[in-house]
Amino acid sequence: MGNFGQLMDGFAIALTTHHIMVMVIGVLLGLVVGVLPGLGAPNGVSLLLPLTFTMDPISAIILLTSMYWGALFGGSTTSILFNIPGEPSSVATTFDGYPMAKRGEAVRALTLAFSSAGFGALVGVLVITLLSGWVANFALRFGSPEYFGVYFLAFASFIGMSGGSPFKTLVCIMLGLAAGTVGMDTISGEGRLTFGIADLTRGISFLIVVIGLFGLGELLVTVDEGYKFDGVKAKLSLSVIFRTLLELPRYWVTLLRSALVGCWMGITPGGPTAASFMSYALGRRFSRRGRFFGKGEPEGIVAPETADHSAGSCALLPMLALGVPGSATAAVMMGGLMIWGLSPGPMLFTTRPDFVWGLIASMYAGNLIAVVLVLTTVPLFAFILRAPFSVVGPLIAIICVIGAYTVSNHMFDVWLALIFGIVGYVFKKLDYPLAPFVLAVVLGDKAEDAFRQSMLSSGGSLTVFFETPLVGTMMGLGILLLLLPLLSLLFGAIFGRGGGADAGEAADHQTSRP
Amino acid sequence: MEISRNTMEVAAAATTALVGAVVCYGSLENGIAWGESGPQPGYFPFCIGSLIVAGSLANIVYTLWKGAARASAVGPAGEAAGVVAAEPFIDGTRLRQLAAFFLPILAMVVISAGLGLYIGMALYIFYAMRVSVGYRTITSLLISAAVVLINFFIFETVFLVPLLKGPILEYFGIY
Repeated sequence: MGNFGQLMDGFAIALTTHHIMVMVIGVLLGLVVGVLPGLGAPNGVSLLLPLTFTMDPISAIILLTSMYWGALFGGSTTSILFNIPGEPSSVATTFDGYPMAKRGEAVRALTLAFSSAGFGALVGVLVITLLSGWVANFALRFGSPEYFGVYFLAFASFIGMSGGSPFKTLVCIMLGLAAGTVGMDTISGEGRLTFGIADLTRGISFLIVVIGLFGLGELLVTVDEGYKFDGVKAKLSLSVIFRTLLELPRYWVTLLRSALVGCWMGITPGGPTAASFMSYALGRRFSRRGRFFGKGEPEGIVAPETADHSAGSCALLPMLALGVPGSATAAVMMGGLMIWGLSPGPMLFTTRPDFVWGLIASMYAGNLIAVVLVLTTVPLFAFILRAPFSVVGPLIAIICVIGAYTVSNHMFDVWLALIFGIVGYVFKKLDYPLAPFVLAVVLGDKAEDAFRQSMLSSGGSLTVFFETPLVGTMMGLGILLLLLPLLSLLFGAIFGRGGGADAGEAADHQTSRP
Repeated sequence: MEISRNTMEVAAAATTALVGAVVCYGSLENGIAWGESGPQPGYFPFCIGSLIVAGSLANIVYTLWKGAARASAVGPAGEAAGVVAAEPFIDGTRLRQLAAFFLPILAMVVISAGLGLYIGMALYIFYAMRVSVGYRTITSLLISAAVVLINFFIFETVFLVPLLKGPILEYFGIY
């Protein structure tokens, strides 16, 4: 249990007054971001990131992760009270949360959501605590071919497990990689894909991509869908909250299953959104009360919420230990780490243990703070949401525009963000997945470097990727995942038209309508 | 004006294919060959561009194939596809709403590029509150002033991140 001692050191760093203040501010900002549709966790973190450049990295990452927790929690508030998911990952919470709230059990639904979310997050952080050191140690043996193998595996699993059209995922990943290659080539020093435009030699920042795709794009989708609040009033009563908390252990099967699903989907880059849908589907399939799902069944809230949050926190494990983020938000944070001069990956555990363990310790504290704050601020945010969208929308729009400008103080970036906004709108409506796009922008350079360094060391022979059992297994798995859609299509054709593909498409369709 | 989902699918895929082609073309400048010590700088982008083109073409084929299948097939398969396709990508009303929301943002960016972000956002918020929401002129003015002041305070004072001021504010000595 070497990790335990380090975790205690981490707590000593995280539990200072300064850092607890940072957590409270981060969680509150995150709640705002999570509650407002059109402002999501990835976008919120991107907007805040340029403001943290002057902070010390530990405070900065605590601020950003706290905002992430806040956003994850805030998304559920609107799902339950207004039937409007504030975050794509809380779509599944609306299915049972809103019916329950309509029945007059809003407080019970909210408490269930927040406490199971807290449980999910706790499991996620425990997994990080127990596994991250081990994974990092394992990854210390990685050379560039292994790293390329990991990146390849990450992208392949998006294509193989996307549920939607694999070709759309492919196009998104490749567009992201293309955006990442614009600018100076790290190895030869040549400018690439700049077409003689001076502004492009600086490259396209992943922050601009996120602000465009997730911020402006989502805003346009919200306008398009015509946005109406049909809110349910919630009056908090402590006795209901306590009774619901006592009720929670009854759902231990659902809790554990959902947490497992979440951890798995968070570590492999499935992300919280996919995790919550999958957990909801599994709950409906396996729960004894599965047929009541969709009509206001408590387990229908517990399942997606637990998975959403355990996936959300587990997504930080591969980011820290391997340098491969498990979700769009984790990708943004990883980009932040690189800007602060830290290189995510196994070396971080030896060079900056204070940073890593301070961060992990702050996850425990941050989630606890988030559960308390989210419960106490429900009336406040319910009030904010009564403001019409025609007022809130323009305010979000200027936040995005200013955010794009502050990335590097160039108006050119704002234009790029507008373009990415339109792209994000069209892609979202056509069910192109956006998370792999962002992941590819952040990872593009590193993936290419790993590839070219392996080529340099092997003298240009591709066999280097299959030489050792480790890298060979990763590449093999990746190729298998790439072929997965094709295989399932074949199986479908042989064994009649399976419901699997349809269900995946339906879930994907629902994901795209926040 | 109504745009069907299929039209948009094909248009989007054609656009991504075009982007892929541009990426391929751009990478030619850096050399796409396989040199002595591994690939040249353009090799990776060229592969990416080619994959974008290939994926986009596959998307077009898939859309057209699905459309054709729906036209001919009756039964569960056709029905399942029909659920998605019955909804148009966008209709006239929503397109106008979208334009009414997006064009002012575009105008704000154009103005901001010339006159600075604060003036751009002031005009934009005033327009949005006065015209889109329909608040009274005085209310709209107050909101817009409040937004500018809050942003000025947050960015210039708290975080020391200067936003673009533009010639007018600079004339008045605000940098």
